[in-house]
Amino acid sequence: MAVLDEELHAYADNQLSRGRAEEVAAAIAREPALAARVAEIRRQNAQLRDAFDPWLAEPLPRKLLAAASGVCRRSQWQPIALAVAASLLFGIGLGWIGRGEVLQRAGTPVTFEREAALTHALYAADPNRPVEIWAAEEKRMVSWLSKRLAFPLHAPDLNSVGFALVGGRLVAGNEKPGALFMYENADKQRISLFVRKDAENARETGFRYAYENGVGVFYWIDDACGYAITGRIDRGQLLAIARIVYGQLAAAEAAAPKQ
Amino acid sequence: MSETLPNPDLVVALPRLRRYARVLTGDVHRADDLVQDTLARAWEKRRLWRAGSDLRAWLFTIMHNIHVNQFSMRQREYAQTSLDADDSAAAGWEIAVRATQSDRVELSETLATIAKLPVEQREVLMLAAVEELRYEEISTVLGVPIGTVMSRLSRAREKLRRMMGESASTLKVVR
Repeated sequence: MAVLDEELHAYADNQLSRGRAEEVAAAIAREPALAARVAEIRRQNAQLRDAFDPWLAEPLPRKLLAAASGVCRRSQWQPIALAVAASLLFGIGLGWIGRGEVLQRAGTPVTFEREAALTHALYAADPNRPVEIWAAEEKRMVSWLSKRLAFPLHAPDLNSVGFALVGGRLVAGNEKPGALFMYENADKQRISLFVRKDAENARETGFRYAYENGVGVFYWIDDACGYAITGRIDRGQLLAIARIVYGQLAAAEAAAPKQ
Repeated sequence: MSETLPNPDLVVALPRLRRYARVLTGDVHRADDLVQDTLARAWEKRRLWRAGSDLRAWLFTIMHNIHVNQFSMRQREYAQTSLDADDSAAAGWEIAVRATQSDRVELSETLATIAKLPVEQREVLMLAAVEELRYEEISTVLGVPIGTVMSRLSRAREKLRRMMGESASTLKVVR
């Protein structure tokens, strides 16, 4: 089976139909040259996103905000539009490298839990692209994120509580990047696990709960690594899920070979 | 059927519109003018937007068309313009680079290299690799057949790869 050059691009960009993607994946497994091409395209994509994503965090000029909110003061666009806009933008700035600045400007300390809440709010609200890599490629996703974060990660299995893995993404951080795993239940509710290890997380904590802008966060910091389970769901349910995650991660860690 | 645009979504799209505008124009100020023109046009044409379809792609389409028209009005050679021909335009990219804290050298090298690509290659890379639009959507945004999208994308990637390879071995992306 021949693989066309454009199919390699489509495969690297996750745009092939499922059936064809499987065939191409098989061809790639046989041919190292094809695998190298796909890896190169994906590396370039990541490089481009790394270069351009920080632009999204820049403060927006007031005149553009007004224009986007419907300058023509017709009845349909209430003044709340601007308030909504402001809060959304606040969330948007967050996912990116510049978000520390955004948060500080708002006069609030940048805490791990706050960051988890805002990162969740930003990506969970995105219907089309909540994650960078979908759960269909879970193995690749986990190994990629582990590489980027420089320590082994695990995507917990939350099917027992009705949440299926949607996928994951890399999240920019001040010092080191973090990883976000997104889950969704049958009601399309989304929760996420946010993980980041850096010196800012020097403090250690037990289970803690925080509530930021309508998003609940159960988090704990362990060995400089922060974990946060975040979602707009009932506190009790969130705690139950956080416990499951904690248990699974502890089990995975215990099973991992000692370094 | 809704006759209006989902307003918060428009605001959510704003940072991406600005970014795309900057990739098209290579200049921060001209980019913001282009965003403003795009938003104004979007408001005029809001009844043409199909509820449920990707607002971002629709806005990019409007922006692309305005940009092409403005360029032909200025009688510029649209496809041939690359930013390194114009220092003031290239400076527009640097502002954004300064805002970033980590990996600064590598990021600015990447941006400087992309700035040297013709605009048609910059925009197809932007839409496919960064915005992750479907190829069909890109074909609509750019108003070209999907085969053209693919060949541009392929050429852009190859060219960028060669340029990045040339610029320095230090540019290896850490994975």
